[in-house]
Parts: sequence; structure tokens; C-alpha cells
Amino acid sequence: MADLSALNSAGTEPAGGGLLGARTRAQCASLLRMRWQMQSHAFRTTQGAMEFGARLVSYLVYGAMGLGLGVGAGAVAYQLAAGNMWQFLPIEFWVVFFIWQMIPVALAAFQEQFDLSFVLRFPVSFSAFYALYLVFSLSDISTIVGGLCSLGILTGIAIVRPDLALWVVAALVAFGLFNLLLVRLILAWVDRWLAQRRTREIASVVFLLLLLSLQLFNPALYEHGRGGPRRMYWVMHHVQPYAETLITAQQWLPPGLAARAIGTAAKDQPVKALESLSVFGLYLLAVGGLLGVRIRADYRGEELSEAPSRKEKTVEKQGWLLNGSGPIAAVLEKELRTILRSMPLLYAIGAPLFMVLIFGSMLRNGGSTPSGHIFVLALPMCVGYALLGSSQLVYNNLGTEGYGIQLLFLSPTPVRRVMLAKNLFHGVLFLLVAVFAGVLAILRLGWPDGTMLLATAAWILFALPANLAVGNVLSIIMPHRTNLSRLKKQRVSASSALLSLFVQLILLGVGGTVFGIAIYLHKMWIAVPVFTVLAFGAIVVWMRILHNSDAMANSRRDKLISVLARAE
Amino acid sequence: MLFLLKMQNAAIQTHSLTRRFGELTAVDDVSFTVAPGQFFGFLGPNGAGKSTTIKMLTGLLEPTSGSIEILGQTFRASSLEVKRQIGVVPEGMALLGRLTAAEYLRFVGRMYGLDRETVNRRTEELLEFMQLANERKKLVTDFSHGMQKKLALAAAVIHGPKILFLDEPFEGVDAIAAGMLKAMLQGMIQRGATVFLTTHVLEIVERLCSHVAIISKGRLVANGSLEDLRAGVASTLPGEESSRKLTLEEIFLSIVGAGAEEPAQELSWLT
Repeated sequence: MADLSALNSAGTEPAGGGLLGARTRAQCASLLRMRWQMQSHAFRTTQGAMEFGARLVSYLVYGAMGLGLGVGAGAVAYQLAAGNMWQFLPIEFWVVFFIWQMIPVALAAFQEQFDLSFVLRFPVSFSAFYALYLVFSLSDISTIVGGLCSLGILTGIAIVRPDLALWVVAALVAFGLFNLLLVRLILAWVDRWLAQRRTREIASVVFLLLLLSLQLFNPALYEHGRGGPRRMYWVMHHVQPYAETLITAQQWLPPGLAARAIGTAAKDQPVKALESLSVFGLYLLAVGGLLGVRIRADYRGEELSEAPSRKEKTVEKQGWLLNGSGPIAAVLEKELRTILRSMPLLYAIGAPLFMVLIFGSMLRNGGSTPSGHIFVLALPMCVGYALLGSSQLVYNNLGTEGYGIQLLFLSPTPVRRVMLAKNLFHGVLFLLVAVFAGVLAILRLGWPDGTMLLATAAWILFALPANLAVGNVLSIIMPHRTNLSRLKKQRVSASSALLSLFVQLILLGVGGTVFGIAIYLHKMWIAVPVFTVLAFGAIVVWMRILHNSDAMANSRRDKLISVLARAE
Repeated sequence: MLFLLKMQNAAIQTHSLTRRFGELTAVDDVSFTVAPGQFFGFLGPNGAGKSTTIKMLTGLLEPTSGSIEILGQTFRASSLEVKRQIGVVPEGMALLGRLTAAEYLRFVGRMYGLDRETVNRRTEELLEFMQLANERKKLVTDFSHGMQKKLALAAAVIHGPKILFLDEPFEGVDAIAAGMLKAMLQGMIQRGATVFLTTHVLEIVERLCSHVAIISKGRLVANGSLEDLRAGVASTLPGEESSRKLTLEEIFLSIVGAGAEEPAQELSWLT
């Protein structure tokens, strides 16, 4: 009898070899080829081609943004190297570090998160899985922008001190790898924590504490701004010891270590430079290890969900959340329950608010200098930015339905009624986010002029129906399924995201133009009637689109069902 | 009684129903009638056009040509009154994963226009009947496949439909639950409802259905009572074979399996 075992293993790449083994490389290549083939096949449909175009435009925009930041970073590095001001280099590294880490948070709603769980059915080793995870991270916007900034730093320093090029490359490679790992680590752990109720509650408490602590800083800074030089001296006197400790401590943190390695090498202290790089290596091991723990769980197929503990056996009488027995009340209740149980959705809405909280003070004239005057358009800018988070929900309002989309066409409820209910829910959410962002902006920047407050409210009245109108059209013609349970499994349609961003920019542009004219004329009140008229027009368009939504949705039934009702 | 039934409108009637996807004709000129109170089995091999047909019959897919009548009324996606009379367990089950079973049933009930009291009462009854009452706090997404099927079936009947469309309703359902569901469906038939069933499990069709239609490569190749089909196939068999009582599997294979091609070669490397 023939030995079939040899026959079975014939033609397979040899196992082993770790991260760089033949099988790992073959699997990486196979996945990349598969992605390429999927992209090529996408050209078979108009939307696929549009999707590719939108993706290209997105990358060009982010690339241009990264290039701008890279040139800026290069110019700063050049100045520091030329002036031998190595003591300031850590500041630049810290700025790049924050940009690198903040981009994924700021763009969470717009950026597709890759999901590699589907490769687990194949004989993929853990090291290969880890390698794939890192390879796919390379196409992240944060990696592109951060990488270009690092390249700028390298160029800036190497022009002045070519002899330092090798040290700079070593420090930047470590710095880049650290950032790459840390971004994935944060996303992976946040995703894991937010999938569990207990840790989600802890995260909420931490967020609230952060909010309160920032509010404690605010009065101090205001007082300091108003108190003149004497007050400033008092603040500096008290803050200085802490600042010195902070400066010393940061030298032993990754961005500080990278800068220290370059700075000490520039001062002909190679031992100290090596010491910094060695400590950096320990950080890399730690971050890589922690990421490995999380990826290992994914590798084992761990899937967390919102399931309550099995111990909860007591039967509670679950009442109706909203009164009313009609379909509108039913959809409103369903939307509310869905959003409250989906952390990715809450995260998408909350992340911009968090950014307003943290960076709101930058909208003073003179940046974060507390004495700077409040930028006149700070309030509408904060509110407009915060609304970006809910725009993904508004512009893809059927995305949360999943298989339930079939019910939309099976039930005797007209689509327009379902859309109306969704619009009502999203409208309330939109207003809540706007009010919350406004409150945060006021807390960070102080009370604005009454007319500005009124004008901002009028702008929101225009932006809301305009967003809902465009959102209804995009939801029907460019739907994509929203993953309600995992951040890192989001399918984001690049064309839809780009279009929604484009519409947002138009709305912000209209707002900006009206505000600009009002400021130019020194008559801010003019913005109020103008926005009111625009709001009336937007409401008419929204109602018209809502009226036609039955015909639009019915004519695209096949596509809506095939896109939304498919396995996650 | 039978005479009265015949006088009524057909529960389901299609005329030259056709659906094309580009060059592919998934359903080709299909016409059939399902009488009220019938348990109708719709069979066919993979890719024959069963799901496409059921999607057209329930308003999930627009036919390229042909027409559909449900309870005597022309059926389109906008026929809301007709939709009120039908219940569907579609291919993907149409569930909302982020709701609990009770919340989902109440949602569906309200979408079908039931009042609050009726929705609450039927929700409780259906949860008890489907043995899902103890899973009250679990989200639908965490249900097993079989539990999801039971919930989908509960949602399909909460508004008391006159016609029930079921696409593979027993897939993944355990034997105990399957027996319970069969009893429920037979009870509905006895009370005058019509059931349109597609499944690959021929034993179920043989046991439950009074009438069967078979679709193959988009065309209707057989339609009639089980006895009619049996007699038709038997008449083509030689000698003693023709007098034997054929199983539905034999009938099915005889009708659609005749043209099945033998594999071109054996997979010698497969252990």
C-alpha cells in the first residue's frame, strides 16, 4: 500500500522559521495577493471603482497632510541641529508621538480597521499571525503620517550633521516601531475593555475624572492669565519643581529616549546613546509583549460580546422603553437599545467630544497661551468637529440593521416611516452632541458672546436637516454594515466616508462663509436670519427626500440586503 | 368544504415569474398556484432558484418579469396590506443581534401594527412556546443557531399571518424543537393557514407537505400532490419497480438528479 502521508504534505511550504519563515512569508504574500485581487475585482462595479478612487483620494489627502507635517518636523529638526539645541529635541519627539497616537482616535469613525480573524481557519502560526498584524498596520494613516514626520526629522538632522545619520536612523526605527506597536496595543486593549461592561464602567469613570481634572486646571489658568506678571511668577514658582521632575522623567520615556540617543550621540557620548537605545529596546519588548498577549487571545479565537454573565438567571420584567405602540416608537426604541449596547458606536460619537475637551483650549488666539483671547469662531468650530462623530451614524443609518434589513422590506411599515424614526433619533442625538460639545467648549474657553451662541444654534438648525437629508440618500445608495461589537472589525466604505466628509466640509464652509461675512461686517446677528433661511431650505429638501425614500429603497432592495445582511 | 376552498382565491399564484441577474436567469418563467390551507414544499438542488423565488414572493426581490398574487391581490414591494397577511423566515433570519429575544419580538410586533397589550401577551406566549423564556437576558447575537431559528419563527408568526414562508426553518434546530415546530405548523394548517416551505431535508417535506413543486436550473420541473408526483415517476420505471412506493428522495433524484454529471476524475490525493 502506498504511503499517502508523503502525498498529503507534498507541495506545502515547510513549517517553522518564525516571523521570517518561508511559510509565514508565503502566507503574507498570499494575503496581500488576495487583497489585491479583491481590489481588482472591485472594478467590476461602479461603486467598487468609486471606492478605489475614494481610497486613493483619502490616501493622497493623508499623504499630503503627512508630507506637510514631515516638512515641518524636518525644518524644526534642522533648526535644532544647526543651533546645537539638542535639549529641545525631546519636545519635537513628544509632538510626533502624540500626533501618531491621536490620529487613530480622531479618525476612528472614518478609518477601516482590518480584521484578521478569518485567517485563523488556515494553518497560521502565532508568529505569522503577529507578523500579519504588523504588516497590515503599515497602511494605517497614523503610520503614514508618523513615518513621514520621522523621515522629516531624519532629513533635517542629516543635512546639518551627516555623521549622526546612523544614530538618527536607529533612534527613529525604534521610535517608529514603538509607535506602531503602541497604536495597535491601545486599539486592541481599548477594544477588549470596551467589550466588557465592568471595564467600560471603569473607562467611563476615568473619562469623567479626566474631565474634572481639566476643569480644575481651567480656573487656575484663567486666574493666572488675569493676574498679570506677579500671578505668573507665583504659578511658575509653584509649577517649576514639578516641571523639572517631569523633564527628567520624560528622558526615560520612549520619545525622550529617542531624542536623548540622538542628543548624546551629537555630543560625542556614544555610550549614553547606546544606553538610551538599549532602554528603548526594553520598552519595545514590553509593548510588543503586551500586544502579543492580546493578539494571542485573538489567535485563540476569543470573541467578546455584550453577553451578560451566565449567573444572571433572575427573570426581570422588561418593560417598554418608550411609550407608543406604532412603528416609529418601535424603531426609536430599537435604535436606542442598539446604540447603548454598541461600544464602537458610542466610541465614534464620544471620541470627537474627547478631542474637543483636550484640544479646545488651542482655539484661543495664541494657541494654548492662557492669556490669549478666545478665538471668535471657537464655539461653532468645536461643535462642528464634535458632530463629525455622529455623522457616520447619520450617513449610514441602515448600517446597524445587519440581517434585520430584511425586516424593513418584509414588514408592512413603509420605509419612509422607518427613516423618519431613525432621523428623529439621530436628530436628538445630533442635538445632544452639539449641546455637550458646546458645554465642553464653554467650560474650556469661557462664555461666548450671546449673538455667537445664537448664531451657532441657528447654524445647527441648518446643519441638522441638511445632514439628515444627505444621510438618507447616502444610507440607501452607499450602505455598509456597521460592526456593532468590535472597533477593529469596522468595514468603512471609503467613498461613503469621503463623501460624508466632503458634505460636512461644505456645511462647515457655508457656516464659515456666513460667519466670515458677519464678522467682516461687524454684525454677528446677520448670521442668525441667514442660517434660519438656510435651515428652512434644508428642511424642505429633507422632507422631499424622506417622501421619496420608499421608492429609492425599494429600487435598491437587492443591494441593501446583499450588503447589510451578510456575515460579519 | 373542499368546494368552498376552491372557490376562494389562491393563497399564492405566480405567472411566468422570471428573475435575471445580468446574463444569468435564476428563475425562468415559473408559474404555480398554492391553495389556501396547503402545506407546500418547494424543492430544488443548490442554486436551482428556490431562495430567489421565495425572495420574490415575500417582497425582498423585484421580479424581472411576471407577476405574483397573494390572497388574490397583486403583490409588489409596496403592497403593505398584503405584507400584513404574511410571515417570513428568510434565509438570513432578519434578526437584530443587539436586542434580547423579548425586545426583538416586541419590535417586530409593533412593526406589524399590533397594539401594546397584544404584543406583550404574544411575546410571552411565544417565548414560552419556543423555550426561550429562560434566555430572557441574553442578546440575540449570543444565541445558538437553533435558538435563532426558533426566534425567527416566533417573529414570523407573532402577527398571526395567513401565509407563512419558511426558508430552511429546521436547519440547526434540535430534534425536540423540530418536533415542536412541526406540530405548531400543522396546527396552523388545520386552522386554515398556508405554509410555503423550502428545505433540503426531504423527509420533512415528505412528512408535512401535501403538495410539492421542484425547481431545477431556474425552471419548474414538477408540481403537484405528492401522490401525483409519485405516480408520474413510477410510470417511467420498468416492471416491478413501478409498483413500489417511491420515497420523495427517489422522486427528487429521478426528476433532477438524472442530468447530474459524474465527477471528471477522482481526487486520488485525498485520504
